Amino acid sequence: MSTISVLGLVLLLLMVLVGGKAGAQSFLALILNFGLLYLAIVLVAFQFSPLIVTLVVGMLVLALTIFMSSGDDLSSTVAFIASAVVLVMLIILIVPVEHWALVQGFGPEDSEDLEGLSVLVGVNFVQVTTATAILSTLGAIAEAAMAIAAGLSEILEQHPQVALKALLGDGIAVGKQIIGTTFNTLFFGFFGGFLALFIWFTGVHYSVGEILNDKIFVSEILMILFAMVSVILTVPITTWVMTRAVAGQRKRVAKDTSK
Amino acid sequence: MQFFKTKKGRWWTWVLAILVGGLLVWGTQHDAAIYSDPIMQVTSVETGAATKETDDFHNVDRQTKQTLHGKILNGTYKGQRLTVTNTYSQSGAMDQRYHVGSQLFVVVHAHSATRLTASAKDVKRDAPLVFMIWLVVGLLLLIMQFSGFMAFLSVAANGVLFLMAILLNGSTQGAQVLWIFGSLSVVFATLTLWLVLGANRQMLITLATTLGGTALALVTALLVFHFTHEKGMYYESMQYVTQLPRPLFLAETLLGSLGAVMDESTDIISSLFALKRERPELSATQIFKSGRQIGSTIMGPLINVLFFIFVADTFPMAMLYLKNGNSWGYTFSMNMSMGVVQSLISGIGIVLAVPLASFLASRFMAKKVTA
Repeated sequence: MSTISVLGLVLLLLMVLVGGKAGAQSFLALILNFGLLYLAIVLVAFQFSPLIVTLVVGMLVLALTIFMSSGDDLSSTVAFIASAVVLVMLIILIVPVEHWALVQGFGPEDSEDLEGLSVLVGVNFVQVTTATAILSTLGAIAEAAMAIAAGLSEILEQHPQVALKALLGDGIAVGKQIIGTTFNTLFFGFFGGFLALFIWFTGVHYSVGEILNDKIFVSEILMILFAMVSVILTVPITTWVMTRAVAGQRKRVAKDTSK
Repeated sequence: MQFFKTKKGRWWTWVLAILVGGLLVWGTQHDAAIYSDPIMQVTSVETGAATKETDDFHNVDRQTKQTLHGKILNGTYKGQRLTVTNTYSQSGAMDQRYHVGSQLFVVVHAHSATRLTASAKDVKRDAPLVFMIWLVVGLLLLIMQFSGFMAFLSVAANGVLFLMAILLNGSTQGAQVLWIFGSLSVVFATLTLWLVLGANRQMLITLATTLGGTALALVTALLVFHFTHEKGMYYESMQYVTQLPRPLFLAETLLGSLGAVMDESTDIISSLFALKRERPELSATQIFKSGRQIGSTIMGPLINVLFFIFVADTFPMAMLYLKNGNSWGYTFSMNMSMGVVQSLISGIGIVLAVPLASFLASRFMAKKVTA
């Protein structure tokens, strides 16, 4: 058996032992997410527009991640709407920045890996790199939106009549609690992936100026920064969507009782 | 400070933040003087006719040659007018199209005192980088205020430590990479948790969980590696590798999972401390059960976070493999298998941290939580 399948089985076993049915469901979501990611790559290779593929696959990934983990209906729905809004805002930010920074495709550091491959493949690499940046932040957006929505729905459970204005403040307070640790997850996650690249830079003695303008370096750092922006934006947006949802609910209740 | 809490004050802070951002970006677009490599600003562009290219796999692309006239902004040749040529393709994987106003690094060849030619090297990219850093820091401070500042501080401190560790690794020729980054993880975790939680019992329990969970995941991974003889792991597919790939891969995995495990244990343990504060009568077994329940709802999304970070990054290369007539399986093995292994190992760490956090918190939490 290959290492990947044994590691996968170990993970499945542990998730079921620790989380029971919810654990098995999360594992299934992980597998489906991998399928969606691979599907996105195949679709782009078949000449579908990278941005549209990313938007559709991104929405599916968010829905899958959020609705397949255990949470109450209100917080899952709020988390999904909020993360979808963040995804759209992120695309609006990433597209112009990627065009400005010109970090698409591959850099001189990749030449060894590219040996024997044709790079003139007729696919717009600015869009491919944009898609990569968006896809890599999807997990973080879903996680942050779920954490804020769950925190707020807990507050609502304890104080069902909390004023909407106070709820806005509560959302930011929940956000303050998670932002520090979420940033660290992103920092270590990305830097763990880029370790080899950074070692390369120091080994080959790039100057600071060369590193700060290097295609691959800028592209990777931009990815971390996009992820951080999206997590920060998730906090007020999720809170706002939650207040809208609660306001709508209360209006309906008021209407029903006045009848 | 009170001023910033009023509506007018808040309005002014946003205006101020936007002004600072504009100034920073304008500044980096005019900072050519601090670079030693010559930078040329394009003043006019002549575009040639596009030629159609078809490769062995019937991929069609167009290449265009452009002639760029511009002037040097810095250094010995400052003010000199030069002409360079550049070829760009429609896909732009290894090249880019320049426009009037683009700033590029050039290599100047001086044939005689009066005759200069140059070739374009790469485009200047520091302005977008500064813009995005400003955006993150600005939003962080405006929305999260003090907590945002602390989050920024811990990321900055970890960044400095990371840089020092890389330099240390370079000076030992990479022979000690696992030891360097292993001990660095302990420092990283201690520093971060101290900044987030302060020095107290809660922080010690969280630290023990973080280190324990990450270490257990690595041990599990090594055991699996041993019994499966690392079948299906393609170390040669790792990118940018300049030293022995196996310890480097383990160091990358260690760092990658550390943050997520820390995130998770902080969440579980602080919820358990809050629970104990509200209902001090709860027994250790009940605390353990609630910990497991909290943990099982957050572990799935957290594994997802790392999975997308590790695997989405391989998108461009995987697509190129497919476009070059490789099979789906080969494309997976050569591009994504290492990222998937990394995600799985981190996932194991994230899951193991749940019972560990619940156990440690239920046993070592003070009888009465006061803090």
